[in-house]
Amino acid sequence: MMAATVDFVEADNAEAIISRIEHKSRKIESLLKQSRPVEALKTALEGSPPNTRDERCKSANWIVVHRAIMAIKDLDALFSSLDPEYYDILMKYLYRGLSTGDRPTCDQCLRIHERLTERAGLGCILRSLADTMNTV
Amino acid sequence: MAAVAVHQFAPCITCHAWSPDRSMVAFCPNNSEVHIYKLSEDKWEQAHILQKHDQIVSGIDWSSRANRIVTVSHDRNSYVWNYEGSEWVPTLVILRLNRAALCVQWSPQENKFAVGSGAKTVCICYYEQENNWWVSKLIRKRHNSSVTSVAWHPNNILLATTSTDGKCRVFSTFIKGVDTRDSKAGSSSDSKFGEQILQLDLSFSWAFGVNWSPSGNTLAYVGHSSTIYFVDDVGPSPLAQNVAFRDLPLRDVLFISEKVVIGVGFDCNPMVFAADESGMWYLCQIPWGEEDVINWSQVWFAVF
Repeated sequence: MMAATVDFVEADNAEAIISRIEHKSRKIESLLKQSRPVEALKTALEGSPPNTRDERCKSANWIVVHRAIMAIKDLDALFSSLDPEYYDILMKYLYRGLSTGDRPTCDQCLRIHERLTERAGLGCILRSLADTMNTV
Repeated sequence: MAAVAVHQFAPCITCHAWSPDRSMVAFCPNNSEVHIYKLSEDKWEQAHILQKHDQIVSGIDWSSRANRIVTVSHDRNSYVWNYEGSEWVPTLVILRLNRAALCVQWSPQENKFAVGSGAKTVCICYYEQENNWWVSKLIRKRHNSSVTSVAWHPNNILLATTSTDGKCRVFSTFIKGVDTRDSKAGSSSDSKFGEQILQLDLSFSWAFGVNWSPSGNTLAYVGHSSTIYFVDDVGPSPLAQNVAFRDLPLRDVLFISEKVVIGVGFDCNPMVFAADESGMWYLCQIPWGEEDVINWSQVWFAVF
């Protein structure tokens, strides 16, 4: 059951968020060294801070998610073990990736986008476009 | 899911309403007219054309007891049509809007109707016997954007609205002389006209299509992010649920029973949502069979 309102995190909590992201980043690096890219991506997507307007937090989390996205090689493995609750947030980051214009990033994001749309449907795309409050 | 019957009335239909006995349907074929078709022996025949509006008719509602039709249009006007003899006779209702009217609904007792508009206001219109005309009272506050849909609670006083500002709100529309204060009802009849009872911030994008369950206990509305919101025990401590689905967004919903809701929208196929015993709502795929007696009282033709 969800509350009827959403709270936003203020800027003075940004430092706490950024240090949490740095901690996440170390965990992701170790997962990637163990060739567990899907776990790494889940870790990166978990606790994404959309409830903040602070651009530094968003950028910090994007760097970490980007690292995990670029490390994905096997898309079948990704989608057979990624839980549906991650679909919406992953779609938002894919669009952020596509907006960078950087060729390798866009190629990878587009590849994942195709499979994610098959899995999650157009509704998932709509949720990432229509939600102007919880942006990444 | 197979359609029960398919009839092509027009290339595009903006809004429609069924007659009380469902033998006739009134709709706007994407122009300033309202066409009424009658079903006789399995064929639909054009019975009347109502021509009064100057621009697209955006909302039609047909009251079941009094057999009156109310139409609203982008021309900022509303007409109440009474069937006299063999003709539909219009009465202009001065809504006092400076933007288009977008939706309309008769109240359960049919003594009032609500109009949502692009002017961020809701007009509550009631009939004044002394002057023999319909008066419009405006709810000007609260909405930050166009009011896309209105829905009356069974108690004839509470009105739910959805808006492109993403919020669903419930207002009291108590009017002295029209409504009676029910001493048993509690909070709803203690409120003044235009007072906001509840605001729901569940959607982060445009909200459309609000509808109350038959008992008035549950509210459902849709957001443009392909999500449908269910709110049980509407009141001081509501229980809200979001159901996100994989298809394109919905535009309107209808409760066909206390626990079953049908949604229609951009995906060109109706979606059925149901609540299980514990009250959790979910999307269901029911194969439609001839034995399903479902009273279709709303059909949405996608504007493509």
